[in-house]
Amino acid sequence: MYFITFILKNLTRRPVRTALTIIGLTVALGSTIALLGISDSVSHAVKTSFERRGIDIIVTAAGKTDQLTSDFSETLVEEASKIPGVQDAEAAIVELIELTRDSGSSVPVLIQGWPAKSFGYEDLTLLSGRRLSAGDHGKAMLGTTLAENLNKKVGDTIVIQGERLEVVGIYKSFVVFENGSATLLLDDVQRMTGRVGRVTGFTIRVAKSSPDSIAEVEEVCKKIDALRDPKDPSVGLNAQTTRTYIDTVAHLKMVRGMAWMVSMIALMIGVFSMLNTMVMSVFERTQEIGILRAVGWSRGRIVSMILGEAVFLGLAAAALGTVGAIAVTYLLTLSPKVNGFIEGGVAPVVIAQGVGLTVLIALVGSAYPAFRAAKLLPTEAIRHD
Amino acid sequence: MTEPWVDTLLYADGLHKLYPDGHVQALNGVTFGVHAGEYVAITGPSGCGKSTLLNVIGALDRCDQGMVYFQSVPLSTYRDLARFRSLQIGFVFQSFYLLPTLTSQENVQVPMFGRGLDVRARRRKADELLEQVGMTKRARHLPVQLSVGERQRVAVARALANDPPLLLADEPTGNLDTGNAAQILDLLTTLQRDRGMTLVVVTHSPEVAARANRIISMRDGKVIESSDSAAMPANR
Repeated sequence: MYFITFILKNLTRRPVRTALTIIGLTVALGSTIALLGISDSVSHAVKTSFERRGIDIIVTAAGKTDQLTSDFSETLVEEASKIPGVQDAEAAIVELIELTRDSGSSVPVLIQGWPAKSFGYEDLTLLSGRRLSAGDHGKAMLGTTLAENLNKKVGDTIVIQGERLEVVGIYKSFVVFENGSATLLLDDVQRMTGRVGRVTGFTIRVAKSSPDSIAEVEEVCKKIDALRDPKDPSVGLNAQTTRTYIDTVAHLKMVRGMAWMVSMIALMIGVFSMLNTMVMSVFERTQEIGILRAVGWSRGRIVSMILGEAVFLGLAAAALGTVGAIAVTYLLTLSPKVNGFIEGGVAPVVIAQGVGLTVLIALVGSAYPAFRAAKLLPTEAIRHD
Repeated sequence: MTEPWVDTLLYADGLHKLYPDGHVQALNGVTFGVHAGEYVAITGPSGCGKSTLLNVIGALDRCDQGMVYFQSVPLSTYRDLARFRSLQIGFVFQSFYLLPTLTSQENVQVPMFGRGLDVRARRRKADELLEQVGMTKRARHLPVQLSVGERQRVAVARALANDPPLLLADEPTGNLDTGNAAQILDLLTTLQRDRGMTLVVVTHSPEVAARANRIISMRDGKVIESSDSAAMPANR
């Protein structure tokens, strides 16, 4: 008999309790992996949207941490494009706007306002119709997820802010949230949102001597930071490298923070579930532990036995929780309410974090009963009934 | 003058122990020695301190005063009493105390963990011991599938797992019918004789005591008499 066999027999002798403990831990871990996975998925989507387009710098208004709350004059984009080293500077408006369904209900939809010459169109794979071009006012392109959710096709109309727009193209993007968004010409979105002549941000491609040249990118950032709107010198710009932007953007930080907060609550429940199980398990086996001590088992081996049981429970929960989390995130991608903001699947690093946390909480939850059992005097333990 | 514990396997020197309630003296100055190869029976009425004495000399419990010497070395100098118990002492209990989820063979292997034996060596050793106690055919059975006599045989095999020089048995026939009790008694005396082991048995049974080389009688936590049994010669 291997030591591991002994541990497994201890777990299988009380199958209901073992199963319930695994289920409790699975729910805690599954929630954690799913939440962290969703958070990671959103971050990954935003990062991909910039990196795959070769964007080096994201510019927002100074003091604003993301494009949804940023606002400044379009003229600053023209000024930025004149800075040496700037290859392309492209203005945009990104906004969450109420879209009216055919049923009359409203849903918030991410709207992107891009100039007709934007390089962003190059990365959209047209599934039907055509891309926007200069003069396409009152027209929109829909991401494939949004088109499916609204049941719209080329030639149909959608209603945004009470304005009817004709769908001219359906596209698929490598950026998951773009598939759930609508893309309009920049000046249409400026007009509809009351921001004529203004943008929420712009992106820059830097002409670099090598792809990894950070210094050149940071040099351009400094020059952009120094730009001022002549009509309102109090408005400054905040130019950040793509990586810095992802790390600091408020909405993503909030998503990550919420995910961790809820995960911690779930994990604490897991710790107490584990603690309860192992305390009961040790209490019921007090006499057996006394026998093991009597026949010469050291305190360390008793602790190893109980922690070993906890690790097995943790690993079983980790396996089930991972499968559950992947299933939940996949099902979420099918939900119209999620509207294509996340992609299915969970990154391996998130799974590794979840599994590590589960084993950790299993060990934390079983540490007290393990050491308590090891401290028992053999005679006291054997007398226990 | 030679110390009294020299040349003994086990020596209890003035052991005192109060029960946890703080009023009853479980051991009240118990002193006696056991030589290697002896079969000693400890007898006395219920509550006289026999089992407490067995637990103290077996390093399962501590005394409040006095000293236990094993091979002339005080137990208090052992840093790892669990290892001491594992290598030097085999225990047989009245209630067998087999682990319910393990087969006979697995129960016998339990004391061998941590001794550096690989799984094959543990199995081989367990099979040998089960053969010695006549339980080869029941090696794959769980305790619940065994008769009480068979359970005690497995418990005896477990006590021998690490070839200890000293076997301590607390009422080994107390839960057995007459037939099984006689068989277990035969087994213990045979093992003691063939292996040259030292056997200390706590018992109420006159049959068990009668087979001992020496009988230590206790009352109220004290040794009141230590006499050679007429049944068997001392194996010193």
